Amino acid sequence: MDSAPDAALAAGNERRRAARRARLAIVLRGALAAAIIIGFALWAHLGSGRPVFSPHGKPEAGWEAFRQAYDVDTFGRDGYFVRAIQNGYNLVHHTHQYAWRFTRKRGSDHPNACINCHSAESLAYAFAGGDRFDARLGRRISFEEHVQRCYATHLDGFVPTIYDPAVRDIRIFARMVAHHLQLGEGATEGAP
Amino acid sequence: MKLLATGWGKAARLALLIGTLLALYILAQARHDERAHIREQAVKLTPGCADKLARYGLAAGASYTSPYALAHSGQASIKRGYSTEDVRAIQRGCNIIDDLQGQLAADPARERWNSTRFVRGTHTSCDHCHQGIGDKQTAAGAPQAGSLSLAASWVMADMYDQFTGILLPYELRQMQCYINSSNGYKPNVADDLIRDVTAYSRFLAAALDLRFGNHYAEQGIDEVTASSTLKRGDDYVRGAARYKEKCAHCHGPQGLGTVVDGKMQYPAVAGPNAFNQQSRNNFSFVSTILPGFLCRNMPLGEEGSLSKQDCRDIAFYVSNMPRPAGDKDGPLAALWQQLMMRVMPPLIQAVDTWQGHDAPRDTGT
Repeated sequence: MDSAPDAALAAGNERRRAARRARLAIVLRGALAAAIIIGFALWAHLGSGRPVFSPHGKPEAGWEAFRQAYDVDTFGRDGYFVRAIQNGYNLVHHTHQYAWRFTRKRGSDHPNACINCHSAESLAYAFAGGDRFDARLGRRISFEEHVQRCYATHLDGFVPTIYDPAVRDIRIFARMVAHHLQLGEGATEGAP
Repeated sequence: MKLLATGWGKAARLALLIGTLLALYILAQARHDERAHIREQAVKLTPGCADKLARYGLAAGASYTSPYALAHSGQASIKRGYSTEDVRAIQRGCNIIDDLQGQLAADPARERWNSTRFVRGTHTSCDHCHQGIGDKQTAAGAPQAGSLSLAASWVMADMYDQFTGILLPYELRQMQCYINSSNGYKPNVADDLIRDVTAYSRFLAAALDLRFGNHYAEQGIDEVTASSTLKRGDDYVRGAARYKEKCAHCHGPQGLGTVVDGKMQYPAVAGPNAFNQQSRNNFSFVSTILPGFLCRNMPLGEEGSLSKQDCRDIAFYVSNMPRPAGDKDGPLAALWQQLMMRVMPPLIQAVDTWQGHDAPRDTGT
């Protein structure tokens, strides 16, 4: 006679315990997700050392010498433009590291960087003479599109958008070198 | 039977979807071909562009030597030449700057790349701010300081821009002009409308022999700051009086511009055809640019006659006239500005008439 109420009471207790467990699981999962996100943000900003998480470019070998040789400080010691130049330098000299999303080339490949085919000066001249009609392609091609095509073909990779820093900072790098060489629009190598 | 009907329904829906996609593809191809066809057509230049491009010796060839640079420096600076396609792009770009609305074009939509799609109103043209077709010069033939030169702007592009907070490429700067100064919409970065203006600006830089990354006096506007005046404060009432005296004759008593036979003669500086509240021309947004422009370029034929304080007062007054809200102002501000643009002009006109002021002029719409 007493077993039915006991069973109902036990079932009720079990349901409440299950509900508590479910609530705890939800809270724990939320806390864990928040901890992971916060931990990732802290790691990215403070401990990763990865350039993608920092507004400051990683000073690669040769950057300081380049900076002095090309008078980068004309544009200031630091600032958005100078950081873009530095990122451009890194992209041009270490493409497989800094534009890894857009190339299949690895460290052991050759060529694996823009600088393997183009000098800084030749990039500046290409920039100054860019945006012209390309008879082979049958349309006008900008400097940015040339960069995009390089990623897709010579670097055996993928096309970044025209706004991507992997394109933009190479243009800014070329612009800075053009300034250093005091090139004008349409300048050609060897011309007075 | 029911199963068969369901099957036919699914097939019909699929066919409709594929048909729609196919139609869109064919339409896109047709538009693409039409654009390619326009690019191959000879360009009918505006009189201003015909004169400017002839003076700068634009012609197809393996190399380009600027007659301007040769005359001014005595040295022939040999540049990379232009193909016929490049020349046409430069010509179209010049036409766009000189006549954005296509008032001088036989077929405005085709000859100006549908530019009016990206502009609200019927008044705005690039040349209103970038005078001299983006290359204003002094009587002696030198580039005018602080004249918003497109060439000087191109060689200094990509620098950090405090208003947008980004390294601003030349193409994105043009988009901002469409959004705010033309109170319109931004074209795609690869649109011919943008690319042809870039081609023209680059040609100007070659013709004037400007060097990358150098600052030239003709870049931007020679801004008039409060500290360059006697610091009496910018005065709305004084500005209103000076506006009526110096500006209202062309721009209308309420700044709505002058339209004759459906063609804009003088652009609106207020109302739905004018720049919006987030244009850098708007004194309330940037207080130094419009005064600089006024001191440099206005009134026509009497340039340089206004004092710096006059320019600031007039700019203050003009920017307080009702005009469209900026793209970041939000819907409530936009609604309010629309209301003001509709209510204020007839109200002011009625008050002016009642007070016995000048009869209302032919104003733009």
